[in-house]
Amino acid sequence: MMPGATPALLGRIAALAVVVVFFQIGVVSEVPMFGVSADLSVLLVAFVGLLCGSTVGAVTGFAVGLLVDLALVQTLGVTSLTLTVVGYWSGRLREARDPQAGLTPLLVGAAASAAATVGYSIVEFLLGVDAPVSLELLRQIVLGVVVNTIVALPVWAIVRRSLIGGLPDDPRRRRRRAYTTGGLSPLSRS
Amino acid sequence: MYDKTVRRRRAVLALLVVLSLILLTAYFGEAPGGGLHSVQRGFLTVVSPIQNGANKALKPVRDLIGWFGDTLHAKGQRDELRKQVDRLRAQAIASTSEKHSYRELLSLFRLDNQLSVKDYHPVTATVVAKSPNVWYSTVTIDRGEGSGVHVNDPVINAEGLIGKVAQVASDGAQVTLITDSSVGVSARIGSSSATGIVQPKVGDPNDLLLQYLPANTQANRGEYVVTSGTVSGPDDSLYPPDIPIGQVTSVNEESAYRSVNVHPLADLHNLDVVQVLTAARGTLPSNLSRLAANLPAGQHASASGEQLAATGAGG
Repeated sequence: MMPGATPALLGRIAALAVVVVFFQIGVVSEVPMFGVSADLSVLLVAFVGLLCGSTVGAVTGFAVGLLVDLALVQTLGVTSLTLTVVGYWSGRLREARDPQAGLTPLLVGAAASAAATVGYSIVEFLLGVDAPVSLELLRQIVLGVVVNTIVALPVWAIVRRSLIGGLPDDPRRRRRRAYTTGGLSPLSRS
Repeated sequence: MYDKTVRRRRAVLALLVVLSLILLTAYFGEAPGGGLHSVQRGFLTVVSPIQNGANKALKPVRDLIGWFGDTLHAKGQRDELRKQVDRLRAQAIASTSEKHSYRELLSLFRLDNQLSVKDYHPVTATVVAKSPNVWYSTVTIDRGEGSGVHVNDPVINAEGLIGKVAQVASDGAQVTLITDSSVGVSARIGSSSATGIVQPKVGDPNDLLLQYLPANTQANRGEYVVTSGTVSGPDDSLYPPDIPIGQVTSVNEESAYRSVNVHPLADLHNLDVVQVLTAARGTLPSNLSRLAANLPAGQHASASGEQLAATGAGG
């Protein structure tokens, strides 16, 4: 069992992942903003990591990546690899720094999108995909990050609301405890 | 205790990364008929009905979101289209008499039996999924082998050429769009008989480039680029002739060959209903495709009367 992950939490994450991936490929991909589409799967993985920790984040990233690659008939393993790293990284951010600022999801969403896109690009280049670096491609990558940043807060709200009951350490409880313990960090166990 | 947690966390990460790399390597290295590809096709078969249902259920949501964007662009498009209508009306009037003469000549030379779209047994399909990143120009449709769809079948919509079928499952298929780097289409500029190859423009995945045209080819901005009905190699798909692909945006003066930039006519970001030209076995297009596939490399095939005679299917 992963640290802090109850079967109920894993069930919620699995259900959320399936819904988000199908909503992504059925609706969001068909609605371009500034010529590009948002990628909700990256945001989902980053926010699961931010809420549940690095191990759950990495496993969610692998599973969501595999689901995306299977559903879109892409090279298996590419999305899994990038999303595993994204989930682990955002989980480590929570465990090491526990950021509480309101804009944290926005910044995490932007950084995760940028990291995933760059990671994805590197893997594709290594696999020999014929799409040379150009201003247009860079523009699309930057626009993709911008669009993901725009939708990051609503996605964060949905992910947080969906998982909040089963979180290993509910943020509200954690904050309350921080007050009552005079500011001692509750994250010493991670 | 802390060390154990850290070790376990790192072990999970390493395991998942290694698993991803193994999957990636195995998938990339195996043939299209290999185990992982079969699993993927099986998954596509299973989820196609779900995707289809979700696509229909979520269409109102998609339409609502799309409505806002469409409204923003509508005014600019309206003005542009009014100008285009005026221009096309003038062209239509001018070409009426030419068209009449052309039909008479076609009848005279018995060339009016050229292949049309309906000869290819078009199968109407709905787009149920689309790749969200810039690396894959693919969509998934809700018709597959069960509807007579085969690999390499051309895919069109009301606006023009979309792409070709890349993979098929029983109830779904993956379509590679013409903006994918793996696709090349033999094409010609409307007013010219010289043919070239339409491929995605390097560095701009939303635009196309018609390459390898003879240096003396005349091309003007705004002219239409259509399929030529020929193939340039045994691996090509035989697209029907005169399917619109795009409009010329600029001409590049280069060395021995000339190339023109082409903007696709079909809005590849907003695909909903498409048609797969299935060319059922035993039909004329099917025979021609088979003939083209069996040609030695470098020899061109054309959907002309001579080829019909060569296949014995022209009658």
